[in-house]
Amino acid sequence: MGRYIRRRLITAVPVFFGITLLVFLMVNLAPGSITDLMGEGSAAGADKAALEAALGLDRPLPLRYAGWLGDLLRGDLGESYFYDRPVSRLIAQRVGPSLLLTGSGVALAVAIALPLGVLAAWKPRSPWDRLASALSLISYGVPGFFLCLAGIDLFSVTLGWLPTHGMYTFGTFTSLTDLLRHLVLPAGVVCISSLGELVKQTRAACLEALGQDYIVTARAKGLTEGGVMVRHAFRGSLVPVLTTILSHIPHILGGSVVVEQIFGWPGMGSLLFSGISQRDYPVVMGVTVVIALAVLLTNLLLDLVYGLADPRVRYGKG
Amino acid sequence: MKKLIVLLLALALALPLAACGPSQDTTAVVRYGLSNAWDTLMPYNSPSGSNYTRIVCDKIYDRLAYVHADGSLDPRGAVSWESGDSGMSVVFHLDENAAFHDGTPVTAAHWADTIALMTNPDCPALGRSVFNVLAGTDESGAAIPGEALGAEAVDAYTLRLTFKTPTTPEDFLLDRNREFYVLPTHLLEDTDPAEVMDLALWEAPIGSGPCKFVEELPGSQLTLQANPDYQLGRPGFDLLVITVMDKSNLLPSLMAGDLDYYAFGGNLSAESAQTAREGGIEVLEGTVPNSFYELMLNNETIPSSALRRAIDLALDKQALCLHTAQGLGEPTATDLTPGTTYTSSLTWSRDVAEAEALLAEGGYDGRTYTLACTSNRSGLAALMQQQLGEAGINVTIATVDSATLFSGMAEGQYDMAIASHTPGALPLWFTESRFSAGNNIFHVSDLTPYATLISQIKAAADIGTRQALVDELQALLASERPFIPLWFGRTLHAQSPTVDNIDYPSSSFSNENVWDWTLRAD
Amino acid sequence: METHAYLPRSPWARFRTDRRAMLCLSVLCLELVLVFLLPPLLGLEPNVSDMAAGFWAPPSRTHWLGTDDVGRDLLARLLCGGQVSLLIGLSAAAISAAIGVPLGLLAGYRRGAWEFWLMRLADVVQSFPSIVLVLCLVVLTGPSAGNIVLVLGLLGWTGIARLVYGNTLTVRDQEYIVAVRALGASRSLILRRNVLPNVISPVWCSIPLRAGRAILSESSLSFLGVGIRTPQASWGSLIQAAADLTVLTARPWAWLPPALCIILTVFCLAGIGDGLRDALDTRSRRLPI
Repeated sequence: MGRYIRRRLITAVPVFFGITLLVFLMVNLAPGSITDLMGEGSAAGADKAALEAALGLDRPLPLRYAGWLGDLLRGDLGESYFYDRPVSRLIAQRVGPSLLLTGSGVALAVAIALPLGVLAAWKPRSPWDRLASALSLISYGVPGFFLCLAGIDLFSVTLGWLPTHGMYTFGTFTSLTDLLRHLVLPAGVVCISSLGELVKQTRAACLEALGQDYIVTARAKGLTEGGVMVRHAFRGSLVPVLTTILSHIPHILGGSVVVEQIFGWPGMGSLLFSGISQRDYPVVMGVTVVIALAVLLTNLLLDLVYGLADPRVRYGKG
Repeated sequence: MKKLIVLLLALALALPLAACGPSQDTTAVVRYGLSNAWDTLMPYNSPSGSNYTRIVCDKIYDRLAYVHADGSLDPRGAVSWESGDSGMSVVFHLDENAAFHDGTPVTAAHWADTIALMTNPDCPALGRSVFNVLAGTDESGAAIPGEALGAEAVDAYTLRLTFKTPTTPEDFLLDRNREFYVLPTHLLEDTDPAEVMDLALWEAPIGSGPCKFVEELPGSQLTLQANPDYQLGRPGFDLLVITVMDKSNLLPSLMAGDLDYYAFGGNLSAESAQTAREGGIEVLEGTVPNSFYELMLNNETIPSSALRRAIDLALDKQALCLHTAQGLGEPTATDLTPGTTYTSSLTWSRDVAEAEALLAEGGYDGRTYTLACTSNRSGLAALMQQQLGEAGINVTIATVDSATLFSGMAEGQYDMAIASHTPGALPLWFTESRFSAGNNIFHVSDLTPYATLISQIKAAADIGTRQALVDELQALLASERPFIPLWFGRTLHAQSPTVDNIDYPSSSFSNENVWDWTLRAD
Repeated sequence: METHAYLPRSPWARFRTDRRAMLCLSVLCLELVLVFLLPPLLGLEPNVSDMAAGFWAPPSRTHWLGTDDVGRDLLARLLCGGQVSLLIGLSAAAISAAIGVPLGLLAGYRRGAWEFWLMRLADVVQSFPSIVLVLCLVVLTGPSAGNIVLVLGLLGWTGIARLVYGNTLTVRDQEYIVAVRALGASRSLILRRNVLPNVISPVWCSIPLRAGRAILSESSLSFLGVGIRTPQASWGSLIQAAADLTVLTARPWAWLPPALCIILTVFCLAGIGDGLRDALDTRSRRLPI
């Protein structure tokens, strides 16, 4: 057991360095920098050089990587060029709203996808199956930004039921209903975007489970169809479905860039997008590295839990 | 059918929530939309120096004057001003009722100390170049040791600014007012100038503007409170909540009643005006030009003036202007803003045949030029590409973000770029900053003729001489064509259905008269 | 499922009996033909403004789908945008497969250091939400159709490599492989002749889905202002016109056709993927020796 944990931890080390190196190189080899944003190119030369020196951009690349990595290990993500405050604080303010938005969207999707996928597998070509494929179609085929704008036009402008932007009407938390009303549209879009894959996976996993020997046995034992579905097929399909849900973790942590951007939702996605368009390297690096490391950590924990629960996992894994 | 089912599902979700609206309390809130984020709330520490930061700082801090869209001035921090020292200085009489949000009265010493601190070479101020017109500063706006700084408190409420060259109060304010803020220097006395920018004060700033700071979520939301003691009057609301959101959501939000106003001035294209009107929004037409479009040229890669003039003649400015401004604009031959004191007799009309002749004269070798534009101007760029193609000029388009566009132009990566600016009333509003050694954005090989004329215009004593010199400069620009002026455009403003007395057009000078705003009672 | 009792011989024969999959395939082929043949046949010019028709002209006899904000014919742009979108989708998926299959084979068959480092590399790439990496890389390398294809293709290899890797692991120690190896066949021959055919089927199923997803990713990038180069069009960039409330509400002819095209294409690609999965289902036939 100890060997398994140790081996799993050791594999995480190169991934950690890979993530940091990828993020660092991606951002630092890019053209354009914060100094170009000064007053639409009319910045005086002196201002520009001073700014570069102040931001430490005049040092060679390997030194900057080493410095950044050292800071990262100490939990310091640097100062945002644009907002002039610690990136870690900016991210801390954005994590909650992102988790709320994407988490509730995906949770809603799971709540719809699981029963629908099981029903669709149980009764192929039934209306439920048709609904499942229709939902997958919309989910796969309609771009997210279009759903956002069409939703705003229908539910906010035309019907006037739901607010168009932000988390709260008056800028701060007043009541749970207020927050929920603001959540409906963006979370609905997130839900629809992840629905397709979840429905499809659930349906496929259930169909596969239905073909297994133990189901045949259960049927032979005289269990009712419903009993077979719920007690065996659904349970048998849980693992692949869980894996699909877990594969959404990066998505949950990363928020949804387009949705947050349109709805002015103060999450990680909109922070990242503004960071990219403002060439705010520390923010881009901070957000991407935090998301990736969180994914790494979650996967590590899950693997360890799997390993503890199921001895078979400990073998045959790289 | 299938879409319907999804809609029904969404409806089922939405209904119970829609039934209970937001709790109506008695605070009067103005919800204000912004398409891009401000960076810091310390006006002299803004890396972007963008109008988004200026329009936000405009609420928290006070400025000397309020600039209207047509260039006229109203008192704000200063009640009145006059020229002194035969034009070398301006004396401002400050409003004695002005006070910081902590209750401390604003005095001339605050203004003088602010300028002294920000020009102090030890202080890492980013927006310092705004002070480089003052005596005793160098080109970057840093104070020159041993020289007297051109900002002094004559008495408690009288501030004198001294310039390097004769400057009228109007010229100075039109050019620089939006970047002259008064800081609470009484809270900075014990701080080393090198550490001023690190103070926690700027995360919960104290200014003397019409709104007080309440809360900030950087990059997303800012909550401000009306300053009841503002010298021009208390704003007619309790809270001002500024939210950053995508520009495609601004008008829908205003129509849905989820926004009361969006910056700048509820700008609206003629295209969207009909939609806005149908949504119950009144639309106001701007009377003064508030945008100037130019085609930036790289004079190093397009070295022949004949070629540059050929580009000017090959473009159909009328069609370009129609596409972007939908009839709310005038093609132009110069960068002089129509309706201001200084004029030019130069005219422009499209002439493809003449353009072809000039191309032959300039020895065009059929090479392909790269035209850079931002993604929202890609249609405009596509039109230009076709028009230039009619004259035989090959162009390829690079769609980039505005930071890359300007840095690419500065580094000479692109041959042309589309840019737009907020026009000024001064004759040199455009040219002065673009033909200097520090910012030779058009890569002109010899700046001397421009620099000479520009300094002569600045030094000219009376309007007549100035106009003559302006004509000379415009003639030089027309024969050299280092950049191509396209058109001056006016805009439409979507009026707030809930807030009265908004001076929409003046927001193009990055100031808004929030002290006059009143929430409509209904 | 029930048809397995009467399995036709080859996967292609089985695919042909799947009516839904065949319909999807024909629609997609028809789309490809229309998109590539119609513009030259009808003499359509996607990048020329018709100043006589004006900006945003509604559908008419000369412009069947109207004109866009610059007065260009929307039918021409729809067709040429289809070329771009379909090419982006298909080539991104092809690049992913071209990289993912060999790497997955290598990792699964040679194991050891190959396995360790390739799978760690896949871990690194998969730790990022895809839109985040794609957005960053496209902005940083400069938005253009070529770069979008490259970024989407290069980042998409991990999923395919994992599929191939997992299957190779189970196949490599099967008796017939051990037998071939004992007969002294070279490694590359074994990989090509014996391993590859047995691990490739899930890749075929995933390629159409990936192509569909790449088309959608491109449209998101267009919305964020980092799509293909003007004046080129893609279905994604055409739908983007709907970001303007006026276009969305008053000019459905501008965004509805490209939106329907995307939905239809993604639907067909998914249908083909499903058909391939059923036709190639390894459990329903014996592993060939």
